[in-house]
Parts: sequence; C-alpha cells; structure tokens
Amino acid sequence: MLFGKIKKAFDKNRQHFQDGGKLKSIYPLFEALEAFFFTPANITKEVPHVRDSIDLKRFMSFVVIALLPTFFFGIYNAGYQSNLISGFSLDFRAAFSKGLLIVLPLVFVSYAVGFFWEILFASIRKHKISEGFLVTGLLFPMILPPTVPLWQAALGISFGVVIGKEIFGGTGRNILNPALTGRAFLFFAYPAKMTGDSVWTVVGRLKEQSVDIISGATPLAVSALAGTGENIEALLAQKGYSFLRLFTGTYPGSIGETSAMLCIAGALFLMVAGIASYRIILGGILGVLSTGYLLNMVAGESSAAWLSINPFYHLVMGGFAFGISFMATDPVSAPGMENVKWVYGFAIGVLTVLIRVFNPAYSEGVMMAILFMNLFAPLLDYVEIKLRLKKRVPNV
Amino acid sequence: MILLNIKKGFDLKIEGTPLPELAELNKPSFVAFLPEIIPFIKPKLLVEQGDRVRIGSALFIDKRNPDIKFLSPGSGKIEKINYGSRRVIKEIVIKLDNKEESVEFDVKKFSGNKKYSRDDIIKTMMDGGIWPFIRELPFRDIAVPDYMPQALIVSLDNKEPFQPDPQVYLKEEINLFKTGISILKNLAENVYVHTSKEFINIDMTDNLVTHRFSGSYPADDPGVLLHHIRKDPSENRAWYINGQDVLLLGSFFSTGRYPVKRTVALAGSLAKKRMYFKTRIGVPINDLIEGRIADENKARLVAGGIFRGYTASRESFLGFYETSLALLPEGEKSETFGFLRAGYDRPSYSKTFLSYFNRLPLTIDCSLHGEERACVNCGACAKVCPVDILPQFAFKSIAAADIEESLSHGMLDCVECGLCSYVCTSKIDLCGFFKSAKQVYYKDKV
Ligand code: SF4
Ligand code: SF4
Repeated sequence: MLFGKIKKAFDKNRQHFQDGGKLKSIYPLFEALEAFFFTPANITKEVPHVRDSIDLKRFMSFVVIALLPTFFFGIYNAGYQSNLISGFSLDFRAAFSKGLLIVLPLVFVSYAVGFFWEILFASIRKHKISEGFLVTGLLFPMILPPTVPLWQAALGISFGVVIGKEIFGGTGRNILNPALTGRAFLFFAYPAKMTGDSVWTVVGRLKEQSVDIISGATPLAVSALAGTGENIEALLAQKGYSFLRLFTGTYPGSIGETSAMLCIAGALFLMVAGIASYRIILGGILGVLSTGYLLNMVAGESSAAWLSINPFYHLVMGGFAFGISFMATDPVSAPGMENVKWVYGFAIGVLTVLIRVFNPAYSEGVMMAILFMNLFAPLLDYVEIKLRLKKRVPNV
Repeated sequence: MILLNIKKGFDLKIEGTPLPELAELNKPSFVAFLPEIIPFIKPKLLVEQGDRVRIGSALFIDKRNPDIKFLSPGSGKIEKINYGSRRVIKEIVIKLDNKEESVEFDVKKFSGNKKYSRDDIIKTMMDGGIWPFIRELPFRDIAVPDYMPQALIVSLDNKEPFQPDPQVYLKEEINLFKTGISILKNLAENVYVHTSKEFINIDMTDNLVTHRFSGSYPADDPGVLLHHIRKDPSENRAWYINGQDVLLLGSFFSTGRYPVKRTVALAGSLAKKRMYFKTRIGVPINDLIEGRIADENKARLVAGGIFRGYTASRESFLGFYETSLALLPEGEKSETFGFLRAGYDRPSYSKTFLSYFNRLPLTIDCSLHGEERACVNCGACAKVCPVDILPQFAFKSIAAADIEESLSHGMLDCVECGLCSYVCTSKIDLCGFFKSAKQVYYKDKV
C-alpha cells in the first residue's frame, strides 16, 4: 500500500528530473532515492544471462547493520558519560535520550553534508551515487569525540569526502578511507577539540560543580600519563577502568569506539558474511599482541610504563577494536590480494601499538596506522600480483 | 587416469534441470543453419533461395579457409536466407522434404586397422562438414590444422546449468563415441577425455577417460583442464571438442553421411517439461517449446547455456553448436527494499542471503539485481575464476588498453565462463572485457 504510493510518487515526479525537466541537474539524487526504495528492474542484455542477487547496496547495508549495535551503544554511552559527569540520572532511558541529543545532530550533519558533496560530484560527473557513502556517513560521527562542534563535523566530512575520495574519482578509486581522512583532518586542524581530557564527555549545564576532571580522561590518556615504573593496569583500575569495563565500553571516548565487545560482534558478523576480511582482523590482533609482548620483553625497570602493559589492554582500549573491525577492512582502501591482507592487518596492529607507546601525544594510534597502511595497500597488492603472475605459464 | 581437484568455480543451485527422460521430437518442417552465431567465420554462400539441397550439401564456406565447409542439415529446398544488419547472414532456412537424401562421403578407406594419413582425415572431415566441431584454444575459433597440437581435449560433462548430461546422450551410443575418439587420436599428440568424478558409464572403460575432476562449473571446460595440467607455453594452442560432437564424428566415419542427430535439453524454470529430445541440428525453437512453455511473455529463451549462450527468438532455430534451450523468467520487476530482504530464495554466491542455508533449488531470472558501480575490491571475482585470473585487476589493465599487462594477467587463459560477471558485487561485466579484448587481440594477430 504505502509502497505503492511511494512508487506512484516517483513515477509522477520522474519527468522533472529527466531531460528537459527543471531539476535535471540533480537527477542522481532522484535516482538514488528511488533506488533506495526499489531495487531497479534492470535486466541482463547479454551473457551471462543471470547475475547474482547481491549488489553494492546490500554489501554496504551489511556494514551498516554490523555497525548498529556499536552505534546504539555509543549513543547510550555518550549520554551515560555525560549524565555521570553532570550528575544527572543514570538510568537507561535518561542516558539514552541524552545520548540521542548528542549523537543524532552529528549523524545528521555527517549524512547531510556528505550527501551534498556526493550529489554534487555525481551530478557533475554524471555518475550514479555510490552506496559507499551509506557507510562513510555513519562511520564518521562514530569516530568523533561527542563534544565536537557541528560545524567541525561538517568540515571534517567535507574534507573526507572531497579530498579523501572524490578527487581520486569517487568510491572505488580512493586510496584512503574517507571517514578516517576526515577525522585525521580535524585532528590536525583543530587539535584542541580532538584531544585532551575534556573533549570526550559532554558536560551538562547544571551542576557543573560536581565535575571531576579526571573522570573525563580516556583510558589511553590515563595510560599515557603513567610515570616510569608505574603499573598501568593498576592505575586504570584505580580510575575505575577494569579490563571488563574496557571490554564492554562504558568509558569516555569517541562515540562509537569504546565497546570492544560490540566491535567484535560486528566484526564476526561481517566476517561470517564474507564482507570483512578475517585476514586483516586477525592480522591486526596478532600485530598488536606480538608487538605488545615484544615490548614487554624489552621493558626494564626504568623504561616507560607503556612498555610493560598487558598487550590485551591494547586491544580493548581506545579505537583499535573499532578501527580494525570497520575501518581497516574497508575493501576499497585495503589491499585486494589475500596474502598481503595479513601483512596489512599485522602492520596496522604493530603501528597502533608503536604510536601509542612512543608518541603519547597522539594517543590514538590506530587512526594514523590505518591511514598510513592505506597508502601502502597498492604497493602490497603490486608485490603480490607480480609474484603471482610470475608463476603463470605465459599465454600470449 | 589423472584426478584433478579444481577448487575454484561455482555451482548455481537453481531450478529447472532436465530429468533424464528422452523423447523423440516430431520431424520438423524446417531446419536452418545460423552462420551469424559461429564466432570469427567469414561465410561465403554457395547456395541461393530455391536451390535443392541434400543432407550434406555445402551451404557456405569460410572465406578465411575455403576448405572449411558448412553443410546442410536437411534435404529439401532453400526456403529463404535471412540477413541481419550489415548483410550478415543470419539464417539459411531449409524446407525439409520427405526423402532425407544424403550426400555420401568416402570413409571406407578409414576402416580397419590400417594406418592412414592425418592430412587425409582432416581433408575428409572438412569435406564432411564436421571439422568445425574441432576448435582451438585460447580463442575458441575453428582449429587451424597447420600443426600437431599437444592435446585434443574432449570435454564430457555438463557443469554449466541445463546443458545435456553425457549420461543421457551417450546412452546406447558409446560405440559411436569410441569410433570418434579413435579418429581424434590421429589429430593430436594426446587425446584427453575429461569428465567429472561422479560420471559413470558402465560401457566406458577407464582407459577411455584420461582425466577426472572434482569441482564446480566450469571445471569441465577444456581451458580449465589445460590451465591445470600445462607445463609449457607450447601447450597453449590445444584443440578441443564437445562430448556430443564426438558422436557426430563417430557417426560420420561409420556411415559416410553428414550426421545431423542431436540430443537437446529443454530446461529452465519456465519450461513445463524439463527433459531431453532426440532431434536434429538446426531444429526450430518453436518445435522445442510449443506447448512446453509457461508464461511465454515473460520468458527469455537462452540457447546454449545461461552463462555463455545467446538469446533466441521463438521464430529462430537452434545453432550448430548449441544443444540446450533454457527458458528463464526475464525478471523485469522492481523490488521494494530489495537490499534488505532476508533472501531465503535468492540465489547468491555471497553469504549475504539466507539462501545460503537453503538446500532447495531456487528460481533464477535475468535481472541484474542492481546497478553497475565502480569496483569496490571485494575480491569475489578472483575467488571464482577457474583459471586463477585476478579479474578485478586484469580488467583495469584491459580498460587502460595495456595489452602487455593484460596478457601477463593471463587474459588469454580466460575461458569466458562468465562467473566473474555473475558474482560481481558492482555488476561489472568483467567477462565481457576479457571476451572482447581477446577478440580484438586475435583479429589483430591474424
Ligand atoms: S576471467 Fe571471468 S570469465 Fe574468464 S575464466 Fe575467469 S571467471 Fe571465467
Ligand atoms: S567482484 Fe566486482 S566489485 Fe568485487 S572485486 Fe571483482 S570486480 Fe571488483
């Protein structure tokens, strides 16, 4: 019924967007909207006469579905942390609705501004709008601190979409992950809003007297501040960050990144569906653990506390779980060859730990690690392809 | 016998497979030859409308090699010659008479255990119109008999959906098959008979089958076998022939007459009867489907396999090589929130539909199920390619016209199975890139 009406509305208005219509220049928007509701009725013209039921929209929808648990938890957690610090009610409804107020405007801005660019480029290039943005538009707010001003979010997503993707020619041709590119831009352009202890929690207006600044520090920041010889695990526990809490995610941080548990759930879903590469994810985990243990081995009495942390803490703190599950596995910016996916994932794990440990100024290593490896993905592919083609019996 | 385990490829679980039931189709009133769909040839007509022909009268030759002849599959009168755009000869239609007169070819000299010359056999095959059944890798053109190939591969299976099952067409014909094979042995260093592990034919002793595979479509393809067994580039130019065509060869050398018998599969979800018919080369499509098709307006008639065949019209005829007709729904309907359906009944290679858990054969239609997008590097195409091409990278070098790079990617090894196009998340017709690049390369070369 309802769909019948929607269909009619589309059919009625199509003329305005087609050749000669007033709104012809934004035909891609019309098209994308229509295709969102109705899988188009295109048929094969020649061989192969049949095609698989999957399409890019389904592929990308799966990533969105995998993100949803983390997303909803992120909303709850942003509200919870805010209410906690502001002294408001901590019951689920109160926290969640507070979270909605914090997160939804960001999501809205991210999608609206991002789509604006997508439509603009699609119209200029006379391309179709790619579904890749469904994912980017959701990923981007999830890796922002909840306090980020909306205009910065708008700027960040613009940078991500335009510089991270469109100048390369759009989805499929980009080298960098667009959401991460946008985030990295904000990180360098507006460090004050992206780092420090105060950005991770939205503070309510009332009862500000109860603010305990330290409770706004993220586990990574706590760890980075640990002095020589201190035991980070103990320090974290003292601040209330038990391993279990880090794992479940009720601590301040970027909106969607805190729950390693739900990231694992999403990653499992994507791996089972064959969308995320288990090689990248396992490679990343191995990279973190092996670097962590190696550092443990070289750590001495007088070395920085970071060196001796239990490597499993690296997996559950900060954005690693999120990054490796949803960012590193973005097929466009990752290598396409199966073996180097191990290398790629592993290197991301190694770099994440190294950046965290040796450059505590950027406490969030995973973002840099992924972007850096994005740059190397084409080279990794190149090497594996060359080796593989060498083994072929030539046929010319 | 060599066992091969061919890991890549993909079997569609779809509805419409013919039952192993075989019936005689009534004698058609017309048969036709369709030069248009034989790749690469440049036909030169030898007949005109109104001419009388016998079974085995030459209809046209291939200008590129005038010794290669194409013969009439019926005795009667040339009813009409249909041309397509730019004067391509589409169909040479013959109205059959009741005489079934046939040209006699001299094949007696090949009987017994005498040693006979290869050239003589080839000449006889060309005159007898059966040479075109022997084709050459990698371009799949009619074989050029200027050398002795390392291998001649007989593919004896039907991994492509709805193709005739060798168990059906070999039944009671095994002796023809053996005759055919013994002739083929004169043409190449080795004759390989390639079939699946499951294939059983009690009459077929194991020294006839040389290679057995376990694997999915298109593991039965000669190019796939070659890819897995070759050691040296000199083996690339192998010849091949279809299992059913070996019967025609055997029949020709036993009777001296141009063979026209065919076992044709009628299949697909819109076929009311899914079964086999004994009929002849060039049978009218209408004779096959009359009364056996459901929902004709919605059906696409695919001759010769849903991955590699062509769309036929009801008024047309079955081609020279084709031995199956699949009736598939066109599937021109849009779907509300198609991308969010659970999809228990959606065929897919991916694991994003619940059909992954569905054991039943599913209905497939000719819908694209989406729109073309840029490649997102999902890797599905490389997972299915039976000859280990990396379609997602190779097609880019083809698109960039980098021929060296494309060749090093194994472009010529592509068996044109269409699986990469089938699975592509972004609906890119990868196989089309390979096919046309191969053709362009071939035409430049000769
Ligand atoms: S490239 Fe595509 S069409 Fe060619 S063999 Fe591989 S899967 Fe088949
Ligand atoms: S299946 Fe299509 S989208 Fe996926 S890698 Fe291959 S070409 Fe690219």
